[in-house]
Amino acid sequence: MKNEVVFSCEDVHVFVEDKEIVKGVTLEVRAGEKHALMGPNGSGKSTLAAALMGHPGYRVEGRITLLGEDVSEMSPDERARRGMFLSFQYPVAVPGVSVANFLRAAISARRGEEIPVREFRKLLTEAFAALDIPRSFMGRYLNDGFSGGEKKRLEILQMMLLEPVFALLDETDSGLDIDALKVVSEGINRVAGDHMGLLLVTHYQRILNYVRPDRVHVFMDGRIVRSGGPELAHELEERGYDWLAPEGAAVGGAA
Amino acid sequence: MADTAHTLDTTTLLDEAAVRAAAERAGGGDASLDTRLEALATFRDTPPPDRVRHLWRYTDFSRLLPESLEPAGPLAMPEIPEPPDGGMVVVLRPGAPPEVRSSDAAREAGVRVLPLGEALEGEELFGTVVPASHGYFEALNAAAWDGGVALTIPGGVHLERAIRLLVVAPDGVSLPRILVVAGRGSEASVVEEHVGGGEATRLVGVTELSVGEGANLRHTVLQRLDAGARAHLTTRARVARDGGISTVVASFGGSLVKMDLGSLLAEQGARSEIVGFVLGEGRQHMDHHTVHEHVAPRTWSNIDFKVALTGRARSAYTGLIRIETTAPGTEAYQENRNLLLSEEARAETIPELEILTDDVQCTHGATVAPLDEEQVFYLESRGIPGDEAERLIVRGFLEATLSRLPDSVRTDVEAAVEQRLKAFEGGHR
Repeated sequence: MKNEVVFSCEDVHVFVEDKEIVKGVTLEVRAGEKHALMGPNGSGKSTLAAALMGHPGYRVEGRITLLGEDVSEMSPDERARRGMFLSFQYPVAVPGVSVANFLRAAISARRGEEIPVREFRKLLTEAFAALDIPRSFMGRYLNDGFSGGEKKRLEILQMMLLEPVFALLDETDSGLDIDALKVVSEGINRVAGDHMGLLLVTHYQRILNYVRPDRVHVFMDGRIVRSGGPELAHELEERGYDWLAPEGAAVGGAA
Repeated sequence: MADTAHTLDTTTLLDEAAVRAAAERAGGGDASLDTRLEALATFRDTPPPDRVRHLWRYTDFSRLLPESLEPAGPLAMPEIPEPPDGGMVVVLRPGAPPEVRSSDAAREAGVRVLPLGEALEGEELFGTVVPASHGYFEALNAAAWDGGVALTIPGGVHLERAIRLLVVAPDGVSLPRILVVAGRGSEASVVEEHVGGGEATRLVGVTELSVGEGANLRHTVLQRLDAGARAHLTTRARVARDGGISTVVASFGGSLVKMDLGSLLAEQGARSEIVGFVLGEGRQHMDHHTVHEHVAPRTWSNIDFKVALTGRARSAYTGLIRIETTAPGTEAYQENRNLLLSEEARAETIPELEILTDDVQCTHGATVAPLDEEQVFYLESRGIPGDEAERLIVRGFLEATLSRLPDSVRTDVEAAVEQRLKAFEGGHR
């Protein structure tokens, strides 16, 4: 349903062992909305994205909801089956597991039942064509020996096939040349539609020329320090991040 | 921690009366009894394994040893598959002659299957590949084997389908013995499948394989004993000129299993490959040893041995490559990879190279790695539950090795892997 809140987090803190990396983030994303979370390297953006997905290496405080349901205590696979998706900045290679077998397992898990073979083939063929990925990739081992651009295309392909209600895209533009960036962005726009919420995590404004955000949040030192419309991204492009740094945060984080 | 000192009175385990009783139960004539009595003498002269010696460093031999050779009670028989067209199924169990189910095609090809006792009357190869002097357990088996079969594939015969040897373990002692003779230029595939057993199972098995000149033999060992079983299996092949053996070992069952596998590359141009899959969980203890012994020029060997463990399972793998001065122009390769799915699982890997000539190509590699949590998270983030993610990763870990198997063998091994993995407990968190 359009305008429905598909994702929210309230006062989320993320700790690695005892170190607080994310220091209270509150965010709400509605169906059909694209949000950009922009921040300098090391600000904790990727940590936040992985923690929202339920990475076991982080301790998370605060409340995370998906379609109104509290998923804070759920495992990553439970979140994913309910429609959360994370496109990895560095997709992980799983040698010996073919792309096709992996996709079949993932789609079947998301649907809660085995996808019929014919339907699977049809879906795959369309998605591979849409993202301009050679069919030979179906038989290759997952992300094993893929170039950076190939990995990113495959991430968006997965998003296309899994039809999430809310997707976190972590630095999807990094490692892409301009042609690949266009293909990937078209893929994102095609999937996003009216029913999905999107949070693009990015350092650069570049991808936002292709995937137009409705809201832009500036993330520094573990916090959202400013939120605004698309114009905020352009302002960051011109002025950098420093002018927004919280007092004393530029030198490594104040409490 | 040192084990309690173990004193063993071997005379109570095995005396002449026990040997005669075993001979009677297993069948066979005087030739059979003579070889058994010779083996008994060897057994008496063979000291029990010394835990200081490397081959027994990882496993307490006394736990593998039967306490007595009293036959076990009635045997629970599994369902015996009908042989496919061109195939053959042989069932081996203690105290009974081998039961043979053969398709006409296999019969017409001239494959001979004889109770080992009968075969011994005319067979000179018994005890030449694994002599009683091989070791303590091998001497015990040679003297007291209680079910035996000799398979002969005549020279020049090419079998389309595998010969399936179903070795059924009772919930007690059993000492199966298998002899396979692949005649000159023959081609055949033998699947040796160990099933059955229970807490009281003490299996001491020996398999001898003789690969004739230019022959190609596939030997697949599927160890799928029931939980609780303890087994010691020794398998050796002697490979003649330009012959080849491909051994595939899938060792999944039992609670305490030690296997000693290997080939003697006896004549020039001989080849041997061993591919291993070990899956352990719970408190399983697996100990696998491979040997490639090159004594002739231009011989070739390769080992690809994979181990995946979860729970509190233990594995030791020791791989010996010996290249004698008489084996110039030899190539020998060995790789052992171990994947640990749980914090408590442990794997040891010990390559041993004894290379006595310079003109060789030899590489070896060994790794022990924990499950990659980032791989698990990646798969989970796609909705795949943790235990299924682990299974996928283990399948992936085995895949490169599985994919090298010919289809006929791959089907068997994959089915066994899938069945085993179904029961694999999630270990990573």
